[in-house]
Amino acid sequence: MRILLVAVVVAIFAVDASAKPKEETPRFKTAEAKHFTTAEGVELSPTFVDYFYAELRAELTKAKLVNEVIGEGEAVEDADAPKSLVISGTITEYKKGNVVKSALIGFGAGFKSLSMDADVVRRSDKQNLCVLHVHVKVDPRWNEKVMAKGAAHQMVKEMKKALAEGTKPA
Amino acid sequence: MVLNRTLPLVTVLLIAAGLTWMACPRAGADEPKPKPENTISIQLGEPVPLQKFEHPPKFWIADVTDRSGNPQPMMVMKERGGLFLDKQPTVTVKQAIEQSLKGANLLAADQESADLVLRVYLFHFGLAAGSGLDFFGKVEFSTMVKNIKTGESQEVKAVGTSITKGAVRKKSMQKNVEVDIEEALHDAMRNFLRGTQLKEAVEALSKGAGVTPAPALAAGNRLRSKNLRSGAAGEQIQEEL
Repeated sequence: MRILLVAVVVAIFAVDASAKPKEETPRFKTAEAKHFTTAEGVELSPTFVDYFYAELRAELTKAKLVNEVIGEGEAVEDADAPKSLVISGTITEYKKGNVVKSALIGFGAGFKSLSMDADVVRRSDKQNLCVLHVHVKVDPRWNEKVMAKGAAHQMVKEMKKALAEGTKPA
Repeated sequence: MVLNRTLPLVTVLLIAAGLTWMACPRAGADEPKPKPENTISIQLGEPVPLQKFEHPPKFWIADVTDRSGNPQPMMVMKERGGLFLDKQPTVTVKQAIEQSLKGANLLAADQESADLVLRVYLFHFGLAAGSGLDFFGKVEFSTMVKNIKTGESQEVKAVGTSITKGAVRKKSMQKNVEVDIEEALHDAMRNFLRGTQLKEAVEALSKGAGVTPAPALAAGNRLRSKNLRSGAAGEQIQEEL
């Protein structure tokens, strides 16, 4: 009976260990994030773009999507270019939000919102690997940098998903 | 009668003096002072490996100028008793560039023996406005790369950023800020020394110094000497050129 119990416990642990996703080695060697541009009419502080750039790089590092996240304009060895990504984009829309509306109505009304488009291209042949559209909404009382944090997180998440789908055989 | 008139005046004066006495030490206490326990040291750590140049030049750092417009460049943070750097940001940046250049054996012994002279203008060093939930470190500078032989120069910009998590305890906060600025410095050094801007500047300035003028000068001399002999020969050389 005791042996059976031990065997069951060992079997449970073995199943649990095999169910855990294995750490995959990143498919790409480097990724270069560029400073995003702002479309006409987007009224964000000049430091926002800088902060978003830093957040995007931090999120890319955290996601382990690539081996190394390099800075804007850094040189890449020619041999590494086919396995190197370049991420660029534009902030297309920003709405300041309305505190009164948010407090009175609730349910997301009057929230600050930010929309951005991004292109992920392969460095060697400039082939577009995926196009991302990110839309984030936050409470109007929050700092706009919090919005940058959320946008960067969502962008990397979508990028990971899109790149994974792109690698799947048809 | 006289006492009636002077009493309010004396009272006002006494209140004013009391308020001044109370306000003075408070103003002094609000302004944090650098002490060993609130001072951090920023170092590059491992030197940044340089990119490969076709003709590796020797660099010399002439000077690093602070253009941040910050009246207290050594104060990283005013809140929570203040946080200070142990040396000027310009000194830290100069040491970091020198360390990396020395590591790649591209640092000249003096300005005379250097091929390219660097003049660095520091725009930002330390913490920048972040989300409030974390620390946002930023180091930004621009460098004028000058070929002292030809007098030509090119600008190379570099920026380094880093984000580390916030902290509640003062000790952890100091440690996180230190790590954050060090990472931003390392990132900026990497952006500068491994950037395409520096590569293009070095290529353009070395071309200006050695390759282009030499044949042009030689051809010019030939042209001048042949022109003296016959006009037709001069035309032929012009065609060759």
